Amino acid sequence: MREQSARYFFLIMIPAFVLLTLFLYYPIIQGTVIAFQKYTLFDMTNTPFIGFDNFKAIFTDINFNFGQIMLNTLIWVCVSLALQFVLGFILALLMQKPFRGRGIYSSLVFYPWALSGFAIGLVWAWIFNGQFGLVNDILLRLGLISNPVGFLSNPSYAMASVIVANIWYGVPFFAIMLLAALQSVPAELMEAGKIDGAGPLRRLFSITIPYIKPTIISTTLLRTMWIMNFPDIIYAMTGGGPSNSTNILATQMINKILKFYDYGQGSAFGVVIMVLLFTYALLYLRLTSGKEETF
Amino acid sequence: MLKRSLLMLVVLTLLVSATVSANTITLNFLEVMTSPERTALLRDLIAEYEAMNPSIKINLISPPYEQADQKATLMLNTNQDLDIIEIRDYTVKQFVNNKKLTDLTPYYEAWSEAETLTPVAIAAAKTVDDTPYLVPQAIFIKALYARTDVLAEYGITEMPETVEELIEICRQITDPSKNQYGFAWRGKGATMKFGDLFASVCVDDVANSEFIYSEDETFFLDPGFKQGMEAYITLFKEGTPPDGINWGFNEQVNGFVSGTTPFLIQDPDAIPLINNLLGEDKYEVVPLPVGPHDFTLIDYGFCGMGIPSYSKHKEEAWNFIQWISSAEKNGYFNEHWGPLPVHRTTFDINEHFQGKHYQAYRYEMANPDTFLLKTYPLASAKWPGWDVVYETDVQSVLLGRMTLDQMLQKWTDYWTK
Repeated sequence: MREQSARYFFLIMIPAFVLLTLFLYYPIIQGTVIAFQKYTLFDMTNTPFIGFDNFKAIFTDINFNFGQIMLNTLIWVCVSLALQFVLGFILALLMQKPFRGRGIYSSLVFYPWALSGFAIGLVWAWIFNGQFGLVNDILLRLGLISNPVGFLSNPSYAMASVIVANIWYGVPFFAIMLLAALQSVPAELMEAGKIDGAGPLRRLFSITIPYIKPTIISTTLLRTMWIMNFPDIIYAMTGGGPSNSTNILATQMINKILKFYDYGQGSAFGVVIMVLLFTYALLYLRLTSGKEETF
Repeated sequence: MLKRSLLMLVVLTLLVSATVSANTITLNFLEVMTSPERTALLRDLIAEYEAMNPSIKINLISPPYEQADQKATLMLNTNQDLDIIEIRDYTVKQFVNNKKLTDLTPYYEAWSEAETLTPVAIAAAKTVDDTPYLVPQAIFIKALYARTDVLAEYGITEMPETVEELIEICRQITDPSKNQYGFAWRGKGATMKFGDLFASVCVDDVANSEFIYSEDETFFLDPGFKQGMEAYITLFKEGTPPDGINWGFNEQVNGFVSGTTPFLIQDPDAIPLINNLLGEDKYEVVPLPVGPHDFTLIDYGFCGMGIPSYSKHKEEAWNFIQWISSAEKNGYFNEHWGPLPVHRTTFDINEHFQGKHYQAYRYEMANPDTFLLKTYPLASAKWPGWDVVYETDVQSVLLGRMTLDQMLQKWTDYWTK
């Protein structure tokens, strides 16, 4: 009987395993292999293995400073994640209590999450346009500025502008997930806290947050990976410019493939992203789960 | 009962489709310059052809523009069923390198209308190895667009004929407090095609060189090039909205239509768009301004049709290509799409291309001594990445993050090392 159920278990696993192998593991392995090949669309008849040359090339590229790209990536991920999380959390807290029109309101709030990143980038590119943009128009009319600001053409504002677009896009995700988690916090616990004299802030930090901590950990971990792998908005708004100031690992990977036709170096960027995220996930999970055990 | 009739139905359908497919040949045709309007236009032409040739069915594959070249490469490299493929100036070399295109020489020899192709079209067809691997369908060259209504307000009625005059007028009318600037700068995407009209035209030797620059010959350290680049930078600082650094095609056209930047350099496919937004009478299209050596560069872009080397229906594919490439059909196609037709005869028979906005382009093509037909070394491995390198470096110089001399040295190294 037991043997039979084990066999059955393996049998039903096969389709998922086959699909994952075909569409996940195989591309990962193939992509990693290409990172060690000279693999350009210009000459597909000659794709020799060249060791770490692609990695050397991207680390020492005089046209696209790797350190600058890493720094941009770090800012892009950290600032986007932090603000998306905080704003998403606030939204979830606000929407927790029922109010008139909550259904409509929440579907409006969740709307950006349903859009394609590239489309969002195109829309925000016009909003932030330095000549005809909405933001400039409002600021000019309010008399706050006398000349249009080049939000996307001035390196001092470009990164902030693409991050604003990214935040707009990512807040709903946290709001949805955290709202679901918040609704699972038992009312009795809150009542008990109230009776013991805990104020709203104390209840938030001592009851709510610890209770939904697993959700917070998994959502922030997921979002970190997604934001890092999300070149769409930047690509549509600035293309990594001006002068490399919004170029992140993921946009440079796309550049290498779409503009340079260099799949080898593009894959090398892919491998760098994969290694960074893998290490990050391990560290993050270890740090966050370690604390839980001491409870 | 139900089961049996269903089975009968399936068998019948299979039989019918088998007999039909025995008589019809399906040609798979991949387009890459996709837009909804153009796809509809192609479908109409295909329907017309199919009606005349009942044994041929053409299956048009239209991937979204952004992914189309990738898709073409992928389909060719994996030998997927394709009989007609749209090829661009940017992709022809790699397709030939990967041995995926049929040499069309014998077909050209038997094609009567090959004689009326314009010199630009012939050059385009023979881009790689002086061998025709494609039949061009559309030609893109640039001309200067001027908002005559806006310029008249500043008393300017004579259009600039030299780069120097153009820059001077732009500086003269620029007044940031009135949001008035001169030139619709191109900051993003194929930016060298604009910069070289200011810098490379100042180098006398470019006239005798095969390419505007290449791995074999660069002119960045030529004093003329540097002067031209300096003038171009001045134009940015004193005649262009600072936001231009991030402008692509849409923003350029927007700047022109809004009147913020009354000068625009563009391809003819901007004409239908501008007519639509602005009407036909508020602007003029004039030949590109020339440099100090009395010439300018006509870097021509093109797309055309070829036959994959492994196609099983080459004859049928050629018949369609020949039909759609006739002076009449090609004229119709470009009239409704926007670029220039490939036959010189089209300018005589097609009313649309006799319109006033096309005359500058016609003039440029008829005066190859002033408007030199020069391309970039599309076959060079250095070429694909050049777009981003050029764009990023010019942005860095404009933002003061790099000096002009550093940039020129870096570009020389990029091409020669």
